[in-house]
Amino acid sequence: MSRELTRTLAAAIASVGVVGAMHAHAQSPSRPPDAGRGAVIAAQGVAPRVPACAQCHAFDGASEGSGAFPRIAGQSTYYLGKQMRDFASGVRTDAVMTPIGKALSTEEVADVAAYYATVASPFLPLKSGDPTLVKRGEQLAQIGDESKHLQSCDDCHGPGGAGEPPAIPYLAGQYAHYIAFQLQMWQRGFRKSSPDAMEYIAKRLDDRDVAAVAAYFQQARTATPPAQPKE
Amino acid sequence: MAKRLKPVDVVTIGVGLTGSLMALELARAGLKVVGIERGAPRFTVPDFQSPAIHDELRFSIRKAMMQDNVKEAVTFRNAPDQSALPIRRWESFLPGTGLGGAFVHWNGQSFRFQVADFIYKTHIEQRYGKKILDPELTIQDWGVTYAELEPHYDRFEYLCGVSGKAGNIKGAIQPGGNPFEAPRARGYPTPPMKEPYFGALFREGAATLGYHPYPQPSANLSQPYTNAEGLTLQQCVFCGFCERYACEHFAKASPQTVILPVLFKNPNFELRTNCQVLRINLDSTGKKATGITYSDAAGAEVEQPADLVLITAFPLNNVRMLLLSGIGKPYDPKSGEGVVGRNYCYQTTGGATVFLDESINVNPFMASGANGTMIDDFGGDNFDHGPLGFIGGQYVGAIMTNGRPIEFHPTPPGTPKWGLGWKEAVARHYNHTVLLQQHGTSTASRLNYLDLDPTYRDAWGLPLLRMTFDFPENDIRMSQYVADKVVEIGHAMGAKTVIRGGTKRPYTTTVYQSTHNAGGAIMGDDPKTSVVNRYLQCWDVPNVFSIGASAFPQNGTYNYSMTIGALTYWALDAIKNKYLKAPGPLVHA
Repeated sequence: MSRELTRTLAAAIASVGVVGAMHAHAQSPSRPPDAGRGAVIAAQGVAPRVPACAQCHAFDGASEGSGAFPRIAGQSTYYLGKQMRDFASGVRTDAVMTPIGKALSTEEVADVAAYYATVASPFLPLKSGDPTLVKRGEQLAQIGDESKHLQSCDDCHGPGGAGEPPAIPYLAGQYAHYIAFQLQMWQRGFRKSSPDAMEYIAKRLDDRDVAAVAAYFQQARTATPPAQPKE
Repeated sequence: MAKRLKPVDVVTIGVGLTGSLMALELARAGLKVVGIERGAPRFTVPDFQSPAIHDELRFSIRKAMMQDNVKEAVTFRNAPDQSALPIRRWESFLPGTGLGGAFVHWNGQSFRFQVADFIYKTHIEQRYGKKILDPELTIQDWGVTYAELEPHYDRFEYLCGVSGKAGNIKGAIQPGGNPFEAPRARGYPTPPMKEPYFGALFREGAATLGYHPYPQPSANLSQPYTNAEGLTLQQCVFCGFCERYACEHFAKASPQTVILPVLFKNPNFELRTNCQVLRINLDSTGKKATGITYSDAAGAEVEQPADLVLITAFPLNNVRMLLLSGIGKPYDPKSGEGVVGRNYCYQTTGGATVFLDESINVNPFMASGANGTMIDDFGGDNFDHGPLGFIGGQYVGAIMTNGRPIEFHPTPPGTPKWGLGWKEAVARHYNHTVLLQQHGTSTASRLNYLDLDPTYRDAWGLPLLRMTFDFPENDIRMSQYVADKVVEIGHAMGAKTVIRGGTKRPYTTTVYQSTHNAGGAIMGDDPKTSVVNRYLQCWDVPNVFSIGASAFPQNGTYNYSMTIGALTYWALDAIKNKYLKAPGPLVHA
């Protein structure tokens, strides 16, 4: 058993709050998830109830890079499915996603989560943030801050913010605006998912720290520059 | 010549649990306090952060958080007619070192002792008569009662934020808690930890046999908690790296999380790390301490004069410091006279391995140091010992603290010891095996004691502590009796195979059993049979207090950290409210 798997499964328990609560949240789908059907939902939506996911998140899950919509490509099936259930139940609230979460069936959520979990899309070559800010973000992400009683982000989100699937999402390459906005949602009590961990941590971050971790993680994974063609 | 520093009010020898608690309260009372720590300073950030803290080879196998036994070992033998040899690789017990001490790498198992534990001799003789005691046993009363300690237990639990389910609030038995628990003034600060699957299996099995399962109290917290010092602990994430490790997540009570951040803000406190205390200095009468002498990080000898000296080291080192300083009369096992080193006790452990069907997934890696499910039906004096012919008992529980790959690979008997057959068996049983723990009393015996080794010395040229110990026959009978009960529970859990445990002689230091070394500088009402009085003040040198589990006259059923915390607060109360007002003996013999 690898250490990562150990941590991951352990974290899965912690993040759902109660052992066994996974079952309480989700109705069991009547069949195994089908990534092929998920791709169709991503591209077409489910007429007339649900628009295509690709309209905002792009068919490859990289979204459009502004950070208004998160990158979802390669997040775990479990994590993506749980976010949809949280939108449906009101644990997370969002004007766009809440009605979509409510409209999709248990099977449709599982299908589309399975699809986006397997998509390997490139990271956009975005502009990096202020180097001082990025440096502060790197410190918080990798080491933490004793004076604020804050452990490193990487403790749970994995080395370099690579994620600890299935429960804990990657942050590396996530858009800065999205990360900052979610931290603010926790600070203000609007986001209730994994509140025992993230609400406490978010409230210990000041505005500059929020901007710093957001800036750091956005540039933690960027596009590999295309290889120069050989003469 | 030692450099002589300006006198201070108080010096603590060691800055772990007892040292930091003492320092915080006394600095707050306006005294100038210096904390001397032999190890390095260390903090949750950056020292305990992942991925470095999850290094099983470094911390579990190579014992990176423990006393450096190249510099400073303990010598060991089973009996006085043997020659003791230094333990150069810790296995049986793990004395911590460094800022925060062993309270950094502990598991967070947070019990109180029981009412009868503190009046053990009186209680046992009243209930069973003296005949139940084997002639070598030297059990005693503590000189302090549970009722006196209760408010201090309470205060310490609320400092740590302990997660648990009360079993007895002011005498009213609480459903779901431990019905054998000593009465408590109020419930635990936070609700119990989530029950893991192995705990649920144990609960069902134990309940079918009529026992009383309950969730183990834990100082790895079930939810965020802010203590009276304003320090917040976070929620445990079940990473499975508690014992032998520090918590990366601010989720385990330790000096770093619940005491030190406040202590460091107090200008009356000064911490000196990497300083090895060599001795407590006495004046010409031998009845008054003038301070301590230590070797600093550069190897220079430094004298720190102080009005009050608190020995707040690991229990074994408390005893050694008294012996090195010539405080109290060393115990002589031949004559039975002398007190320092007497009634050294340990913990009697054991346990069964329960192999389950492969359809049952235990997920042992999803663990915390103290989230077991357990029973106290065989703890302490909770059952009738009359017909059994021994005293003492053990708790029993499914307490799986980890599924770490180097340490956890149970295989049934008949499995090859290496090669493909072994690997296949490990893969087959890893996720379908539950370990059941037995953990209990260690009865004091006149044959078990601590003294200074005549041969081996530490890196500073001082004699090592010598441990002479074997399990008394009483404790073997006790552990073997409980072992039979554990096998029955294993079968009630649906086991395919149960491997019986239970302690046997001789005691060996090469297998991990417990870090609850106790006694050797025990408390009591009579200076002929105790080193410190009921306030942990040395009978012979009243401005020296020896704080911690070295004061236990014998060891109880349970993991002892909460009792150490309670005793520390008890002694603090006496120091602040009695001793400081009129320095001198608090009890006249």
